[in-house]
Amino acid sequence: MTDRTISFQERMDTAEFRVHPQAHIVVDGAVCADCSTRECVTACPANLFIPTSDGGLVFNYEQCFECGTCYMVCNREGAISWNYPEGGYGVVFRRT
Amino acid sequence: MSIVVCLKWVSHPGEPHDSRFSGMSHADQSALEFALQQAESTGATVTAITVGPPGAEKVLRDALACGAHHAVRIEGPTTTSGTDVATAIADHITDARWVWCGDYSLDRGAGSVPAFIAAHLNAQQALGIIHASIEGDAVHATRRLDGGRRELLEVTAPAVVSVEGATARLRRATLAAVRAAASATIPVVSATTPMHRAEFMVRPYRPRARVLPAPEGATALERLRVLTDAAAASAARGDTVRLEPADAAARIVRALREWGYLAH
Amino acid sequence: MTAPDVDVVVVGGGPAGACAAMVAARAGLDVVLLERGPFPGSKNMYGGVVYPRILDTLIPEWWLEAPVQRWVTRRSTMLLTETQAVTIDFRTEAWGAPPYNGATAYRPDWDHWLAGHAQAAGAQLITDTTVIGLIRDEHGAVVGVRTDRPDGDLRARVVIACDGVNSFLAKEAGLYEHTDAKHYTLGVKETLALPKETIDERFAVRDRHGVDIEIIGATGSVNGGGFLYTNLDTIAVGVVLKLPKLAAQAQRPEAIIAKMKQHPAIAPLVQGGELKEYSAHLIPEAGLTMMPKMVMDGMLVAGDAAALCLAAGIWLEGVNFAMASGMYAGEAAAEAVRGGDVTANGLQGYQRRLSDTFVLKDHRKLHRAPELVLSDRVQHLYPGMVANVVERMFRVDNPEPKPGLRRIVTQERQRAGVRRRDLLRDGWTGFRSFG
Repeated sequence: MTDRTISFQERMDTAEFRVHPQAHIVVDGAVCADCSTRECVTACPANLFIPTSDGGLVFNYEQCFECGTCYMVCNREGAISWNYPEGGYGVVFRRT
Repeated sequence: MSIVVCLKWVSHPGEPHDSRFSGMSHADQSALEFALQQAESTGATVTAITVGPPGAEKVLRDALACGAHHAVRIEGPTTTSGTDVATAIADHITDARWVWCGDYSLDRGAGSVPAFIAAHLNAQQALGIIHASIEGDAVHATRRLDGGRRELLEVTAPAVVSVEGATARLRRATLAAVRAAASATIPVVSATTPMHRAEFMVRPYRPRARVLPAPEGATALERLRVLTDAAAASAARGDTVRLEPADAAARIVRALREWGYLAH
Repeated sequence: MTAPDVDVVVVGGGPAGACAAMVAARAGLDVVLLERGPFPGSKNMYGGVVYPRILDTLIPEWWLEAPVQRWVTRRSTMLLTETQAVTIDFRTEAWGAPPYNGATAYRPDWDHWLAGHAQAAGAQLITDTTVIGLIRDEHGAVVGVRTDRPDGDLRARVVIACDGVNSFLAKEAGLYEHTDAKHYTLGVKETLALPKETIDERFAVRDRHGVDIEIIGATGSVNGGGFLYTNLDTIAVGVVLKLPKLAAQAQRPEAIIAKMKQHPAIAPLVQGGELKEYSAHLIPEAGLTMMPKMVMDGMLVAGDAAALCLAAGIWLEGVNFAMASGMYAGEAAAEAVRGGDVTANGLQGYQRRLSDTFVLKDHRKLHRAPELVLSDRVQHLYPGMVANVVERMFRVDNPEPKPGLRRIVTQERQRAGVRRRDLLRDGWTGFRSFG
């Protein structure tokens, strides 16, 4: 896989994620609804925040690097609640 | 000893020989959870057992931390054949009423050990279970059959039950139990019979090569026709028959032998 | 009051936590080291170079056993524009032999190895366990931690928070006055597989020798920097991006890496590399400006949790600061437990050790450097200005005679729109920081 040909999904699949059934990121859609800047959408290295056509925002937590970028860049108080996943779950790096 | 859970120390498929990526499979975790639930409802004790080198104690400590009462490691290499693993375990747990196993191991995946244990113990077997509920000293189990059908079993002791990975979610160990298990002494016993190295393939199974006779025909064109002619498809194998399980198994073996996939 | 379960709880099995646990356990204390991942290092990611000199005192001849990829014997700093590159390249054989200098290593290997030494010293490592909060007494002193396991409270005389850049513990304890996204950068990298021989040829190294390349001017409109490091049979290529800029510029991190990889000076080095792992992590970038209080009643903070990361342009260090601060925290905790005073006062030995050693001395000396390196002029104007100066110095414009260097500099400075006063001031800041 050279970078010209790989999709973002293939890129994410190079890292291992032990997914917990419960999300460790919680987004309050009501707070996000009137946010026009959407810093999280640009900055999240795992591209977990996806704007929807109706102006909403969907998010995934499964392939999260647990870096904290989303809540750091978020300008809206209370929009993103973020904790570490339960012990033993989440990203497992190998060659980093 | 009344409830036994058989655990295997396995490496992550992508990271063989790396202890950081080793532990018990989801199937074994499910087995452990059922064993613990059964112990809670019946007041019996759970013994976690494994066949493996000292590194395998990792899975036993995890089991102790989650609530298993005892743990035993039978000394043996990770390459021990499934039949020898089953013999070694069965010899050690002759008085077990319930034996819980994962349906098959992550690394080898034959799923034969629970069946062999059941044979050794002359116990009932319920293998490849996709749903189980513990009802007193019985287990109601669901097994997957062909065609989307299910088989409902009521299993009574003594029995060996092997479960799939998604059947139960292993409880989290308390912090104190994890700390205690880390320093617990794990008894090590030797196998009662000699162990053999398993002969298994590390590549996808392919039938052995067979000698095919040259196509018949006087001319090259005729031989080519024989080789490529779609009419020859009439010789294509395949039979759909409806038989009782024992007869069906015999029929499959016979067909494989006829087609040359089995040597004898 | 409930009696403590252990003398010291160390939260986080990274380099800071491992060294803290190692030192405290060697001092005879009862130590538990908590790690939320399945093994130490499993959550950790960095650029790729560790400077382990501080380990000389903890693990004599550590180089005989440390899980090193390559020894860095070649260091380059590159200034890039769209079409130009100015590279300062240094190499020495000395760094390829004991006692060595810097090394590339994978953190899942390095941290796991280091935590093994903590365990060997008697510390109890408990993995798969996330700390979700502090236990404090009625006076606010920290007396333990709360984990996400059932019955998960663990009481200790001293808690050493080595819980990384997001340090929820330091924040919960109020040790950070405020946190501001502008003090953080996002590190994103790709680990690309290439045959060892190819890496040796492309980077002109042999055996276990390796290269460390820092890159300025490769991150487009997002202030930051790039890096390229050689492992044994992979290379690590990535960027470090200033958070507010990244968010504002509507550029995806992986797209910025992709652009850098296409630069004519970088592309031949990374060509054909197969992506083995994509990863990301935050970096506390602002040094002294952002550092929290590191000592309070019953708790010390070390490593990234204390923002002890030196991101000063040509110096990019973090693991050594983590290991050292962890070591000093372990010493101070042992001192405090033995002395029977685990209040902030009894734990002051930590602050003193940090102040007396490179940990805070380097940060004090270089405290202006992070801002300077990430400033708009250094990021967006100087690389082009320098590259143009060099290009004109070496361009042969016959029959025109060679222009004088002073004239080229003045012209290029004006062309780049840099005021003389700013250039002098930045030069002076740089001189004072680095000098």
